[in-house]
Amino acid sequence: MLTALACGASVGRKSIALAMTKRKIMNIPNVNLPNVNHLIHAYRVAPWRVQRQWIGNALLVVVIFAMVAALYLNVTSRTAIAGREVQDLTDAIAASQQVSSDLQTQLAGLTSAESMEKRAREMGFRPVEPAELEYLVVPGYVARDAVDLSSSAQTQLNALTIPPAYNQSLLDWMDERLVSARRFQ
Amino acid sequence: MRQQYGRRSQALAGALVIFALAIVIQMTRIQNSPEADTFRQLSQDYAYEWRTFYPNRGEIYDRNGRLLAGEKIIYEVGVDLTIMTDPHAISYAAADALGMDYNQLMEVIQNPPEGISYIVLADYVDAAQANYLQELKKALNEQAPEGSLGGLTGLQFKSHPQRSYPENSLASNILGFVNREGKGYFGVEEKYDSLLAGNPVTVLVPTDPNKAFEIPNAPNGTTLVLSINRDLQAAAEDILDSALGEYGARDGIIAIMDPQSGEMLAIATSRRMDLNEFWNYDVVYDNATEFNPVISKTYEPGSVIKILTMAAALDSGTVTPNTTYLDTGSILIGGVTIQNWDRNPWGVQNMVGCLQHSLNVCMVTISTQMGANTFYNYMDAFGIGHLTGVDLAWEAPGRLKVPGDPDWYPVDLGTNAFGQGVAVTPIQMMAAVSAVANHGRMVIPHVLYAMVRDGRQYQVPEQFGTTPISEQTANTLNEMLAISLEEEGSQALVPGYRIAGKTGTAQIPVDGYYDSTQTNTSFIGWGPVDDPQFMIYVWLERPTTSPWGSETAAPVFAEIAQRTVILLDIPPDSIRQQLVQK
Repeated sequence: MLTALACGASVGRKSIALAMTKRKIMNIPNVNLPNVNHLIHAYRVAPWRVQRQWIGNALLVVVIFAMVAALYLNVTSRTAIAGREVQDLTDAIAASQQVSSDLQTQLAGLTSAESMEKRAREMGFRPVEPAELEYLVVPGYVARDAVDLSSSAQTQLNALTIPPAYNQSLLDWMDERLVSARRFQ
Repeated sequence: MRQQYGRRSQALAGALVIFALAIVIQMTRIQNSPEADTFRQLSQDYAYEWRTFYPNRGEIYDRNGRLLAGEKIIYEVGVDLTIMTDPHAISYAAADALGMDYNQLMEVIQNPPEGISYIVLADYVDAAQANYLQELKKALNEQAPEGSLGGLTGLQFKSHPQRSYPENSLASNILGFVNREGKGYFGVEEKYDSLLAGNPVTVLVPTDPNKAFEIPNAPNGTTLVLSINRDLQAAAEDILDSALGEYGARDGIIAIMDPQSGEMLAIATSRRMDLNEFWNYDVVYDNATEFNPVISKTYEPGSVIKILTMAAALDSGTVTPNTTYLDTGSILIGGVTIQNWDRNPWGVQNMVGCLQHSLNVCMVTISTQMGANTFYNYMDAFGIGHLTGVDLAWEAPGRLKVPGDPDWYPVDLGTNAFGQGVAVTPIQMMAAVSAVANHGRMVIPHVLYAMVRDGRQYQVPEQFGTTPISEQTANTLNEMLAISLEEEGSQALVPGYRIAGKTGTAQIPVDGYYDSTQTNTSFIGWGPVDDPQFMIYVWLERPTTSPWGSETAAPVFAEIAQRTVILLDIPPDSIRQQLVQK
């Protein structure tokens, strides 16, 4: 009964004390304590138990190693996929730029001086004669200046516009959280 | 029983350890085996690959944002021999679509050089031809029996950009062209070749996706905005073509510049080529100076140079507008008798009459009064014999003989004063005369208005040349030239606009002698006189209907000036002055 109790509960002095308390409650006759200590010692040094501890430790190392390997494999494969996407997108950007330039050139060909004049003449237009011109004073009119090809509306992707999740380390993130938490205290 | 389990466990553990050790030993053995180097070499070979990047060459726009030079997609057509199924089908299709020889294609495909797995059949293939072949390949793949490949399997298409000129021959003399290797020739393409850049770059690129950040960035070229006005350029070319036919001239040019800034608005030449077919260069031109004679071709300008002679005389105090002289029709200088254009005496003339009637005797008189040193110092200050610095390739400096040169003679002081015996380019004359139109200060002619890079436009700062004459001299001469045209009733006059200018007629030396029937006729003029916004130079080479500039170049000037004021929105003087008064 004592053995069964000891096996069923966690091993140690507290367990033995618990068993003895239960025994008192259940009116079990007193047992000689030196014998109990002997049994506990025998239990601790049992060969099968030592083997299990070794196997457990070894399995723990294997599991930790497997977890680290799996994590590394996962991160590496994701990095490789991201890298491949970067390569594909780089190619796609270059191809899109070429297509854009090609379409722009085609459009310029359709609106070239020669084709526009031809179309205008076909529609019945002709060059204006100086005598047909009438100049009007338009208050506030500003004469057209040369073209400005600046793309001011174009948003430039820079370090400030990239979300922090993409360039922030875990420590940076924790630091930021701590700082913000202190701020709201 | 427990001992049995223990032994079995130990045996199992031992076996596993031995197995693990065997793996480690095998790994070590492979790493150090004789084949290891081969495998390492193979992995290195596949770790990087040569790739060609085709960054876009910078575009070229006119001042109103019209595209003059851009990029279009063309294709390299090749065969991947490792997956090719039917060489006959590929040869037949390529021969049909690309106009190539079937037997030659078969020979190339079936007998490739040792170790070659990809063969280029044709490059610079037009998009339409490539699309046709791609569609054909797709159709054959769809028609192929299930489990087999189409006949054009292995035929591959690689796109890359090529320079394209949507306006074809318009402004070809300004733009220049780019050959298939990406090098610019003539005009803006050559002058700004390194800026436009965008040349293909072949580099080693890692195939390892973890090294994607090592992919080189081949930046696109800088986009250029020219000061050229496309519509004005088209009008100038049209008018020049008509003038060549009307006056029977062999060649000609019309150049239009803003005399206050030096911006070239149009440079029309009679010989132009479709820049998309640059390989026809040899067919169109006999030599490089013909590509853009405005900057490259030197000639004896004739009477238009009298503007500079008179400017020098006025500025040096040799004469005033009211200075008179007796024109006897001829004058002796350096042992040579110089005559007027009509060989007649014109009696007492002042300096306005001298310009109005374009009298050679007058010019010889005032140049000799100035003296050789003063005269040539002024010509040097006007930039005669020097490059103007125009930003176009192949500018010629011209030639001004000066005292001390082995081929200079005293008579040259007289002949140079009315534009014979001196070689200039039209752009040189415009730069020099701009001092008269621009209050004494010369401009540097240029075609570049702005540059665009990374989405930002950078204006080219204004640059000015020297100030060879005072503002007072310039304004006086401006008025004298306007009056001389008005009193002459010149055909160069433009109704509603006050114009200043001068005709030029220069005999062309043939076999060492001047031929009176072969002339270069020209006219340089600007307006409106009180606020010059355009300067136009017209040069017709060997007109056959008349040898005189007043009857050939002057009316062409009037025609192009009328188009210019319309296209540049310049109201007539009366309206403009009303606006100023308000």
